[in-house]
Amino acid sequence: MSKHLLKFSVNGKDYAVVVQSHERLLDVLRDKLGLKGTKEGCSTGDCGICGVLMDGKIVNSCLIFAIQARNKKIVTIEGIGSAEKPHPIQRAFMKWNASQCGYCIPAMILATKELLERNSDPTIEDIKRATGGIICRCTGYLKIFEAVKTAASEMRGQDN
Amino acid sequence: MIDKAAVKEFAQSQEMLVVGKSVGRVDSLDKVLGKPIYTMDIVPENALYLKVVRSNVAHALLKRVDLSEARKYPGVVAVVTAQDIPGINESTALLPDKPLFATDRVRFAGEPIAAIASYDPSIAEEAVDLVKIEYDPLPSVFSPIDALKPNAPKIHEKGNVAKHLKVRKGNVEEGFKQADLIVEGTYKTPFQEPVPLEPEAGFVVPEPDGSVTCVASIQSPYHVQTGIAKILSLRPEQVRVIQATTGGAFGPKSDEIPVDVLGMAALVAVRTRKPAALAYTREESMIGHTKRHPFVISVKVGVKKSGKLTAWETKLFADTGAYASLGPLVVIRACFHATGPYVIPNVKTDAYCVYTNNTMAGSFRGFGGPQAHFAAESHMDAIAKKLDIDPLDLRLMNILRPGTLTATSQIVDEGCGLEECITKATTESDWYKKRRQFQSMNGTKKRGLGIAIMYHGNSLGPEGNDFATVHMQIDSECKIRLRTALTEYGTGAPSGLLQIAAETMHLPIDYFTLDPSDTEYCTDSGPTVASRTITIGGRATQMVAGKLDQRLREIAAEMLECPADEVESSEGTFHSKSAKSVSFRDVVAHAYSRGISLKESSTFTAPKCEYDPETSQGTVYLQYTYGAVTAEVEVDTETGRVQVLKMVAAYDVGKAINPISLEGQIEGGTIQGLGYALMEEMIHKNGVVVNPNLGDYYVPTSLDIPEIKTIIVEYPGRLGPFGAKAIGEPPVVLPAPAIVNAIDNAIGVRITEIPATPDRLLINLRRTQEVQEKG
Repeated sequence: MSKHLLKFSVNGKDYAVVVQSHERLLDVLRDKLGLKGTKEGCSTGDCGICGVLMDGKIVNSCLIFAIQARNKKIVTIEGIGSAEKPHPIQRAFMKWNASQCGYCIPAMILATKELLERNSDPTIEDIKRATGGIICRCTGYLKIFEAVKTAASEMRGQDN
Repeated sequence: MIDKAAVKEFAQSQEMLVVGKSVGRVDSLDKVLGKPIYTMDIVPENALYLKVVRSNVAHALLKRVDLSEARKYPGVVAVVTAQDIPGINESTALLPDKPLFATDRVRFAGEPIAAIASYDPSIAEEAVDLVKIEYDPLPSVFSPIDALKPNAPKIHEKGNVAKHLKVRKGNVEEGFKQADLIVEGTYKTPFQEPVPLEPEAGFVVPEPDGSVTCVASIQSPYHVQTGIAKILSLRPEQVRVIQATTGGAFGPKSDEIPVDVLGMAALVAVRTRKPAALAYTREESMIGHTKRHPFVISVKVGVKKSGKLTAWETKLFADTGAYASLGPLVVIRACFHATGPYVIPNVKTDAYCVYTNNTMAGSFRGFGGPQAHFAAESHMDAIAKKLDIDPLDLRLMNILRPGTLTATSQIVDEGCGLEECITKATTESDWYKKRRQFQSMNGTKKRGLGIAIMYHGNSLGPEGNDFATVHMQIDSECKIRLRTALTEYGTGAPSGLLQIAAETMHLPIDYFTLDPSDTEYCTDSGPTVASRTITIGGRATQMVAGKLDQRLREIAAEMLECPADEVESSEGTFHSKSAKSVSFRDVVAHAYSRGISLKESSTFTAPKCEYDPETSQGTVYLQYTYGAVTAEVEVDTETGRVQVLKMVAAYDVGKAINPISLEGQIEGGTIQGLGYALMEEMIHKNGVVVNPNLGDYYVPTSLDIPEIKTIIVEYPGRLGPFGAKAIGEPPVVLPAPAIVNAIDNAIGVRITEIPATPDRLLINLRRTQEVQEKG
């Protein structure tokens, strides 16, 4: 097992951590950086709830070796809004009670962020495709779709 | 119990401050921010991690378990087996049939035999592979029908039947004689996997005084406390159980599975004097926890030409797997709901909970209701087809209405909105017009519209003592804290309790907050199951909030120098008749300055259900939720794929406490039901689960979601606060029969075994076509 120095950016902050070749990005985020918002649901890439943004694209952090994040920009849920100033997407999820057990919500919010950055006015089909890789077992997805639409409209308003 | 008329009057007359309004959940902010609130986010730094050694055969004697290599493996700190248990080797839900660790015999593939602990979970995992187990195979049985045969291998000493329950009403033989037509059918349902997104997780901290603290993803803290105390040979009060934020549950986190998880961790913790954590992998969770019981249900129904039902006979066989879990209670609920929400003069039902060597079945949202209604509601459509009557008309001719009798001869009271649910759902789905239109569709893609209707007994009824305690305390910063051992695991029901408290005290909702469920601060409230948080916990909340409100008024009266009954309160201000006022904050400060306690507790205990144990005639539940669901589907006759286009879900919920949360429950349950109908099936081969992962076991994703129209109907019930009824579980019940009935409408094929996967559908389609060609 060889060790590597991983330099990358997480939530706008630069990090340098020693990782082993086989370490997963998920474990480095949770255990070495203490960012517990990223969840593990299956460790096989099937449920999508470990999703984080890597250079703006959502990826399953359980399927990415940490070293693959070298020189990349990672955004986790901790990089989106705060208790004092939640992001419009977070506010929209709260408004629709779109978070029930909450376990898929960090990934859902990040997938929404990716979607809205490339498409400010998504159709329901766009939303379904963007969130289709993340399983939610509680909501039946409909309140999540509503939250995404509300967030999109609020964010378009902000842009104007 | 509340007087019926008074409830209705209250519900209609009272302008509500917060009940009935869509307000935000108390737990949303932490969840959308991704705060570290779940079990594995808060494991102590110096904790050991466990991995479990499990059997890989379904039924065998354990000839030899060689742990020596694992014990020697560098980094392994502890290996625990049944021999390390200071108390009783038992982890059960109801019957004392299941050990925590198997000793001489395993009864299903995946049964825990030992656990290995290391500071590095990957070392523990590697050590698991070093354990050598020699099995002496025993004859096995994998279906409940086979398990009931006289020569079937006996899985437990007392035989393979864990429960047999009967309903006897009238005389079915007479009823069949009166019938013009007798329709028979057999229906099969699969193991459905609950898939809470957070797999089971817990950790145990050994305390200096010999007690332990357990933190875990669970539904029922007191069941865990009793279970762990038994294993460790401690008094229950030496086991503190704190519920961490729980990432979904749906049933399996209510019974013995959390005792498995925490029991194994506790053995390591007390032996090493270190915190010990165990998180199941997805595969372990899917194999190791309880799932929805597969049922085989045979139905025989007598009916007049007019469509009037004369007799209904059902035999239900539930596969509870190797250990009973709550199977006997699941079977009771299935048995009582087996005839659907219909008036039937003659009923004979026999329900059996049967052991097999499959993995365990137990609690899962719906608790026997989905299986029973799948058979009953599929069969109603089969009857309608034979009589050439529209399935909606056949239902309307026979449904329960106020004043009629259920299968257990319980009188249906005024709080029955079944007919309104049906009318509203079918109007919204444009029933008659679309059913006609769909008959004349050309091409390979066919559309169909189906319906299913239900009732769902509220309260534990025959399933146990139904009580809840709610504590409330106003802290020095004027926050009103509500605590209960009824847990939040995603449902939003505890947030509903805050609304009920706010309504009762005439105070704004943002004055209230919810504390974690913790046995140290919360009295036993029974298990958080059966959709009972709002109905039973809500009543306790009304009581305790009433007491606290009275206390505040008394203090305000003293400050305002007027009699307490003259104090009016609204929006955080207390007024006297002479127009003097004091604020809520002043009243709280006054109480604190004089040592007046602002802490109260109340317990609500539901009345007992009384019925004859032989015939099950009598009151089996205290009130009922009613519902009607329609499904519009498109069937591709070339690929066998079914796409659900639109569903209408109408439920009589008594009183919607929080409409937006209620819709969320209905939508989520509907989609779990859609998965049950079309794709979800845990497949066992010789007792071994062949699809224990989310790549091979399919659950619905965003891309499977139809349009869902939710309709809320409110006929206040007798039990819940403000007339509220249970709604957590019911939405999962009807989608399967509604979708299967829609498939029949689309292509004339009756699917009797779910899920209606493309291959199953094509085989049935071909068979039907062959029969038609011959006939």
